[in-house]
Amino acid sequence: MNSVNTDQTEAELIRRAKAGDGKAMSALVDSHSARIYTLALRLMNNREDAEDVLQETFMIMLEKLDTFSERSSLYTWLYRIATNVALGKHRQKKYVDNYISVHDPDFEHIRGFDIQDWPDHLEEKIDEQEFRECLSKAMSMLPENYREVFILRDLENLSTRETAKLLKITEANTKVRLMRARLFLRDQLANHFKCIKGIS
Amino acid sequence: MNKTLSNKEEMIRLVEDYLGEDHDREVVKEIRQYMDECPECRIYIDSVKDTIKLYRVTQFESSIPDDVSDRLFKKLNLNREA
Repeated sequence: MNSVNTDQTEAELIRRAKAGDGKAMSALVDSHSARIYTLALRLMNNREDAEDVLQETFMIMLEKLDTFSERSSLYTWLYRIATNVALGKHRQKKYVDNYISVHDPDFEHIRGFDIQDWPDHLEEKIDEQEFRECLSKAMSMLPENYREVFILRDLENLSTRETAKLLKITEANTKVRLMRARLFLRDQLANHFKCIKGIS
Repeated sequence: MNKTLSNKEEMIRLVEDYLGEDHDREVVKEIRQYMDECPECRIYIDSVKDTIKLYRVTQFESSIPDDVSDRLFKKLNLNREA
């Protein structure tokens, strides 16, 4: 199905769902729940909280769909809701950074610049369980205020301005957090590659 | 003689400059020239870019476990279409 037809289909489903059609509402939930759950999992870093975010997001969708103006795509609208729900939970729980802090301006924890060529064909490593765990562990070690920026900017492709607005921080702060998150994750993966160098 | 990546401050500045935004043409040209003269910087920047790429690749694999999906539909009081 081409994108025009997909857009037309979704627009039709939205129209019907707004009119109270349960089947159309189910179809919308079905088509977006996986992406929203993945986003929630990344933002919350645990399955239980991610499921709460997922459920709250779609509860809001059910309640507020009639206010959705369709100026953006439905997914964009949903991920804004999901992100706000997730950020609200972070604030409620007052999550503490239990892991390596990246708050210090000198970045002492970053072992820094192991200058080495990384293994070729990195994409192929994605299928290796050990490597996926490494990616996941590195992300989980990143404090959530850095993780949020990395996810929204680098994975969800939001602009600096949009990210700053969502997170209620300045654009300058967004850029600093993004840079630190990238360096932190790069450093964690570099350590991993050093460990597996002998077997790769 | 090639330049080298000599300290953390330089590493941070390099990433900010190269992977930052809103550069005008002159700044981009200057960064590229710097990278040409510093192979270590190029390797380092490539590794940061690879890091982002790896996370992007995994990001596309969106999935939701069946039990999570079932509980969602139950919570919403909706019937899941076959």
